[in-house]
Amino acid sequence: MASELTTESYISHHLTNFTCGKTPDGWTCDPYKVDQMGFWAFHVDSLFWSIALGALFVFVFKKAISKNSDSNTTPSGMQNFVEMCIEFVEDNVQSLFGSVKNTLIAPLALTVFVWILLMNLMDLVPVDFLPVLAGHIAYALAGEGVEWIKGPESFYFKVVPTTDPNITLGMAFGIFLLTIYYSITVKGLKAFIAELTLHPFGKYLIPVNFVLEMVNFIAKPISLGLRLFGNLYAGEMIFILIALMLFFSSIPIGVLGFGLHLVWALFHILIVALQAFIFMALTIAYLAMAHETEEH
Amino acid sequence: MNINATLLAQAVVMIVFVAICWRYIYPPILSVMKEREKRISDGLEAAKKADDSLEEAKLAFDKELDQAKVEAAEILEKANNRASKIVNDASSKAEAEAEKILTAASTTIENETNKAKEELRQQMSDIIIDTTQKILGDEISKEKHEEILKKAAEEL
Repeated sequence: MASELTTESYISHHLTNFTCGKTPDGWTCDPYKVDQMGFWAFHVDSLFWSIALGALFVFVFKKAISKNSDSNTTPSGMQNFVEMCIEFVEDNVQSLFGSVKNTLIAPLALTVFVWILLMNLMDLVPVDFLPVLAGHIAYALAGEGVEWIKGPESFYFKVVPTTDPNITLGMAFGIFLLTIYYSITVKGLKAFIAELTLHPFGKYLIPVNFVLEMVNFIAKPISLGLRLFGNLYAGEMIFILIALMLFFSSIPIGVLGFGLHLVWALFHILIVALQAFIFMALTIAYLAMAHETEEH
Repeated sequence: MNINATLLAQAVVMIVFVAICWRYIYPPILSVMKEREKRISDGLEAAKKADDSLEEAKLAFDKELDQAKVEAAEILEKANNRASKIVNDASSKAEAEAEKILTAASTTIENETNKAKEELRQQMSDIIIDTTQKILGDEISKEKHEEILKKAAEEL
């Protein structure tokens, strides 16, 4: 693998996570033993970027307030941006949530929106830049000490967390738990169970109702997570394929590759922002549904 | 691309970040924004009030100014009247005084003249009597011809 660079190995290298997990022999990060890892494996690169970007979000927003913590000063620079984000989120929460008072929804929506936006934006970093850099750093640090790092290219590093279904479904899962929590606390357990079992065919067909409603209920978080993953994965894939054009040592195709890269990056900015917005809007919508007490 | 424990880890990470945002980030920013919004609306209202009161003050000022102008004109007129009256009074008084002085002077002159005339007459009659006595001897005495002398003196 280290010796020969083919289009196939290039693509698969970009689509493989840096995974650490539990094998029968113990914990390891060896990419050749990924198959032996069961459920207990972690995509360290995805989690690293997800935590780093979340921390960036917290840092930037925290700094914006600590600089201008009272209303006397004229807001400037970063604080304007931060307040713009908050106003945007407040507007969306207002329009979807109406009069229901829940102080968690707006911060949740803000976190989800900014965080996903940042994670999606990692897609605009040139596809090879960070993985190759990380490979060289890992090789330099590990040297001969780690047996599975045979060269910079045997270290896998995926940069865009939202192209990892674990990340998007993880967030959707968190939101799913919140919808269950609010459904039970706001409507009451009885009403919640009734909602899942007494529609759409009335009380004589409870098992059928339950199956139908359950599919509906579970489809929400899964579609939420997979929509984001699918969009970003496809975007990343196209970047990789465009980057592949440079493999053919032909100048016209290389120039075309640069042009396409630019066009796709510009178009991708739209997808990046749109998907972050859709995820946020659906999060608010699902939680709003959890707060609806009347029959539908 | 398999689903593994990353999913759970990410859910936990998300809960942590949402909690941080919920607890430490969102409320302070929102409260500052709300506060500022209130300050701005208060400020705008105050500005409107100030505008209104400025307008009022302007009206009051104009009214006062007009009144002051009227008063000033009145005062000026009164002063003019009074000045001309004073001048008139003074000139008539001066005229009267002059008349008086003139009259007094002429009276004095007349008196003096009369007095001088009387004296002259007296002296003349004395001289005449003296001279006549000397000429006529003692025929004529002052006492005997009192009547004639007086007449003569009066004719002089």
